Amino acid sequence: MVSNTEKHNGRKSRRSLSQDKRNSIAGYLFISPFFILFAIFGLFPMLFSFYLAFFKWNGLGEMTYNGFNNFTIIFNDPVFWKSIYNTVVIGLMGTVPQLIVAFLLAYALNSQVLRFRNTFRVAIFMPYVTSIVAVAILFSIIFNNQSFGLVNSFLGLFGVDPIVFTQSEWGAKIAIAAMIFWRWVGYNTIIFLAGMQSISNDLYEAAKIDGATLSQQLRYITLPMLKPFVLFTVFMGTIGSLQIFTEPLIFFNGNLRVEGITVVAYLYRDAFESNFFGTASATAIVLFAIIMVFSVLNLLITNRLGRGKARKA
Amino acid sequence: MKKVLKAGLVAGGVLALLAGCSGDEGENGNSGDGGSGGGNGTIDMWVFGTTGYEKLADAYMEENPDVEINIQTTEMGDHHNNLFTALSAGQGAPDIAMIEVGEIERYREAQDRFVNLYDLGAEDAQGNYLDWVWNVGGSADGEFQFGLPTDIGPTAMYYRKDVVEEAGYPTDPAELAAEVDTWDKYATFAKEIVDATGKPVVDNAELIFNAKRDQATEHYFNRENELIVEENAEIREAYDYTVDLIQADAVGNMPLWTPEWGQGMAEGSYATLLGPAWMQGVVKGNAPDSEDWMITTMPEGAGNWGGSYLTISEESEMQEEAYAFIEWLVSPENQLESFKDMGLFPSTPSVYEEEEFVNYTDEYFGGINTAAVFAEAAEQVNDVYKGRNYLLVQGEIMTALDNVLSSGGDPDQEWEDAMERIEQRLERE
Repeated sequence: MVSNTEKHNGRKSRRSLSQDKRNSIAGYLFISPFFILFAIFGLFPMLFSFYLAFFKWNGLGEMTYNGFNNFTIIFNDPVFWKSIYNTVVIGLMGTVPQLIVAFLLAYALNSQVLRFRNTFRVAIFMPYVTSIVAVAILFSIIFNNQSFGLVNSFLGLFGVDPIVFTQSEWGAKIAIAAMIFWRWVGYNTIIFLAGMQSISNDLYEAAKIDGATLSQQLRYITLPMLKPFVLFTVFMGTIGSLQIFTEPLIFFNGNLRVEGITVVAYLYRDAFESNFFGTASATAIVLFAIIMVFSVLNLLITNRLGRGKARKA
Repeated sequence: MKKVLKAGLVAGGVLALLAGCSGDEGENGNSGDGGSGGGNGTIDMWVFGTTGYEKLADAYMEENPDVEINIQTTEMGDHHNNLFTALSAGQGAPDIAMIEVGEIERYREAQDRFVNLYDLGAEDAQGNYLDWVWNVGGSADGEFQFGLPTDIGPTAMYYRKDVVEEAGYPTDPAELAAEVDTWDKYATFAKEIVDATGKPVVDNAELIFNAKRDQATEHYFNRENELIVEENAEIREAYDYTVDLIQADAVGNMPLWTPEWGQGMAEGSYATLLGPAWMQGVVKGNAPDSEDWMITTMPEGAGNWGGSYLTISEESEMQEEAYAFIEWLVSPENQLESFKDMGLFPSTPSVYEEEEFVNYTDEYFGGINTAAVFAEAAEQVNDVYKGRNYLLVQGEIMTALDNVLSSGGDPDQEWEDAMERIEQRLERE
């Protein structure tokens, strides 16, 4: 009797094990299309570019081993360092004002006094879904070098000589940063808005009863409660701005000048204009390392913040 | 039991899907091979731009019913990228691919992926074409022929009658060409244009530099593919000549293809445009109502900008059939057809003697025979080897000239900087 039950149980468990196995096989098969496609179009190119960074290759001829030479070449190239400098400066110029404006916009959109809030929300989000190429073309008309360009004709009203934006150290950066600002400000506004709506109204009511002013509410309730959202936007902005590419490419109409060349534009020029795939891959790896550093910083800071919050609670 | 059945069915479905995918890939590969492999007798041909070759291909297929030609037209940039990828991967290239003259340099590395047209009898066709055109489509040592030339873009001097007249120069093409027949005289002409009209003599630095550069016997690399730009006095002279014009305020700041460039064409904001034959269409498009544009020969010779080659890929299994077709397609008779149909300027000088060519006139350009002007130019173009990093060097020199033009850079310093950047970038090769 006992043995019978055991036997029964044993059989059952064996059967359910194989059932589990079958289920998991089915599960893996279900998710496999993504992984197969990712392996072919994502993972393989990534690994291949690590490999390629140690070779000379023009895409058609033989690949020849080049050791760390590709890295030496780019590290000795002033344009490479300039491209890193440009990336950071344009990133800061495009991101910092953007986050501040996005915060203020979100605050305005969240306030109860504003009418047609939904219309405004959609309008502000529109640039994000606009084709980046269209944006860049529009902005290259705004920041046209000639005196009839929008910005130049405005400056002309005050007797300022037309600025040659594509060849001016700050003109090029301002134009590119403006594109990034315009395109991403709506996205970040929506994130901040979502954050603000998740803050309980009770807190504000309690503060009001205690006699807190509007700016005190903003400083002691809204800002601290938004911390995770701010962190998210800051780090997404950082990683995004390290990868700025389309804006300078279209702004310069293909001729990537040092005034606005970014790291990704620099490696694009090597790979797809000159077919120097080795140094382009080496640049990609340096960029990978830089992004890794920022991501680790991101993790550390978020973890510490999370812990701090838990202790307080 | 039901569950197992379901899981089994689903798993089977996924497997079938995957198998379907890979099966498809296999089939595509096969049909690709078949296309170029000739299993079904189809010749695949990739072209860009508006060639009108479909019409000619139809005529060819009517005469040769056993040949099927499938022409695919793609935008120029995509076309060359697709071809590059196919050649790099070693599979998927069409039987016949058109390659633009500026792009052909970077395919030199992949000589083994093309058929040497000399092996298919190209020697017999060689005499039909201008020597310089033929040589650009060959290897540096001339042993290997990549392609048969299609059209070309010999350059001449477009000019505005109204602007030239204001400065007291003749508006008749022959008279103006006689008066401005050297670059020294062109510089004087430039100064007088600026003094009389306040307008620049050329639209931008690029075209005047290119015009001078194209008259040099060697450019940036020699046939051993060594960088010679720094020692090449002819190129430095072209640079200095451009700088002198810039400093005399005779060079406009209207970069090619920008809206202001097209507008300048319509308004006549500069005196001359040193452009190729196909620029006629661009001028007409930008200044449809203008009656002032004229064409004459450029001082001291001519250059070439544009044109293409028809190549046959090594992986093609219909090489002989493909060659027979392209030899026919770009023969003098059919180049005359393409000229009449699409305005493609012939690379075969015998066409220049044809009646339809000799009697050609263009009402837009004052009823003159524009074709004759460009035919004369075509025979003056220098046979120059460009080399695979040609565009890199050209780009850096343009940057230097841009800096002199717009930011008041010191010309000698800019030249030095450009040379340094060129060397830095060429280390990567």
